[in-house]
Amino acid sequence: MTQSTVILILVVVTALGFDFTNGFHDTANAMATSIATNALRPKVAVALSGALNLVGAFLSVQVALTVSNAVVKIQGKDGAPKPDLVGDGGKALLLIVLAGLIGGIVWNLLTWLLGLPSSSSHALFGGLIGATIAGLGWAGVNWVGDGTKLDGVVGKVILPAIASPIIAGVVAAAGTWLIYRVTVGVAARFTDNGFRWGQIGSASLVSLAHGTNDAQKTMGVITLALIASGDWSDTKNIPVWVKIACALAIAAGTYLGGWRIIRTLGKGLVEIAPPQGLAAESASAAVILVSSQLGFALSTTHVATGSILGTGIGKPGAQVRWRVAGRMVAAWLITLPAAAVVGALMWYIGHIVGGGVGGAIVVFVILLALAGFMFFRSRINPVDHNNVNDEWEQAPAPERVSAGAAS
Amino acid sequence: MHNVTLALQGAWKVLAASLILGAGLPLIFALGIRSLAWGAGGEAEVHTTGVTGPKANPAGTVLGWILFLIVLAGVALGITFVVATGFGKVMSFDHIYPTIHSK
Repeated sequence: MTQSTVILILVVVTALGFDFTNGFHDTANAMATSIATNALRPKVAVALSGALNLVGAFLSVQVALTVSNAVVKIQGKDGAPKPDLVGDGGKALLLIVLAGLIGGIVWNLLTWLLGLPSSSSHALFGGLIGATIAGLGWAGVNWVGDGTKLDGVVGKVILPAIASPIIAGVVAAAGTWLIYRVTVGVAARFTDNGFRWGQIGSASLVSLAHGTNDAQKTMGVITLALIASGDWSDTKNIPVWVKIACALAIAAGTYLGGWRIIRTLGKGLVEIAPPQGLAAESASAAVILVSSQLGFALSTTHVATGSILGTGIGKPGAQVRWRVAGRMVAAWLITLPAAAVVGALMWYIGHIVGGGVGGAIVVFVILLALAGFMFFRSRINPVDHNNVNDEWEQAPAPERVSAGAAS
Repeated sequence: MHNVTLALQGAWKVLAASLILGAGLPLIFALGIRSLAWGAGGEAEVHTTGVTGPKANPAGTVLGWILFLIVLAGVALGITFVVATGFGKVMSFDHIYPTIHSK
C-alpha cells in the first residue's frame, strides 16, 4: 500500500463522514414542520426522509465532479485535478481536500450541538476555501469568477445565501396568508387534517430534492480524490461504489435525525400549525426546484429557514421568535469563515508534522477527538424523538408559597 | 459587480416562478379543502353552536377533488423534474406543456 493510498482511504472515510453529518444536519429542513404539527410521528418522519434521500441520491446520475470549481481552483475545467497538484502522487491535493472536509464536519457538529440550522454546503465550501488558502495561497480561491456568469465565492455562495432565504420567506408568507384567507369559516379540525396530508407530500418533495442536490457534492469530492491518487481516470463518470456509499451515508444520517436542529426549526422559530407547514414546505420545494432549473446555486437550509420564518410573518397574529432567528442568521454569517479557519488550521497542522501520511493521520485523529468530545457534550442535555416537540419556553417555575401562608 | 447584476436577474426569475408554484399550489390546495368543507357541510364549517351546520353539498366534494388533482399534477411535475435532471435530461416548457429531452 503506497502512502497516497493510506491518505486516500482517510479522505474517503472523512468524506463519507461529512455526507453523514450533511444528512442529519438537514433532516430538519424537510421534516421539522411535519414533526412539529404531528402530521408524522418523529420516527416515521425521519424514516421517510431518509428513504427519499436515498432514492434522491441514486437519481443524481449526472456527474458532479466539478463541484469544488465554484470556489477553489484545484481542478481543471473537465474536473481533473490541476497537474501541478498531483505531481507527488496526489498527496498535496489530498491533504487540502482532507483538511477542508474536516473543517466542514467540525462546523456541522458544533452547530448541531448548539441546535442551529447552518448550511452544510457552506460548511463544505468554507472548509475547502480555508484549506486551499493555507495550501495554495489567496490566489487559489475563485473569488468572483470571470464575470460572464454567476461564479466564484461571491456568485455561487454569498449572493445566493442572501437572496434565497428572502425569496423563500416571501413565497411562504404569501402562501400562508392566502391559505388562511381562503379557509376562513372552515372548522380548524377539518382543515388541520387536510393540511397534514399536503404537508407530508410537500415535505417528501423537499427530501427527494435534498438527496439529489447534496449527496452528489460528496460524490464529486471523493471522485476528485480518487483521480488525484491515480485510482480513477474517467472524468465523465463516477465509480458505482462511490455513489452507493454516499447515498447510504446521507440516508443513514438523515434517519439518525439531527433532533436538536429539528426542535429549533419546528418549535423554536415559530409555532407551526398544519396550514403553515404546508405553505413552508411548498415554498421550500418550489424555490429549490426552480433555482436548480435556473442554475442558481443555493443551500436547502437557508431556503427552509426562510420559508418557516415566512409562514410566521404570513399568519395573522403568529409569533416569530426573532431572537432565535437572529442566532440563526449569525450562524449563517460565520459558517463559511469558521469552517475555513478550521480547514486552514487542519492543513497547517498536517503540513507542520510533515504532510504526507503522518500529517493526514494526525488531522484525522484530531477530527475523531473533536467529534467524540461534541458527542459526549451533547449527552448532557440530549434531544431525541421523545422530547423534540416539548414546549420551547420553559414552563414558569411554580410560585413559591411564602412560608407564613396558611394552607 | 457582474455577479450582483446576474444574481438580481436570477433572483427575480426564481421569485416569480416560486410564487406561482410555491404559493399558487398551496392556494389551490386550500381552495380544495374549502370546497370539501362546503361539500361535507355540518361540523366541517364554522357555524353558530347549538344549530346544525350548513347542509352537505355534493358539488363541493367534486370540486374539491378536482382541485386536489390539479395540485397532484403539479407535484408530479416537480418529481418528474427532479428525476429528469438526475438522468441528465432537461424539462422544457417551450410547448406550454412540459416535454423532456436530452441536454
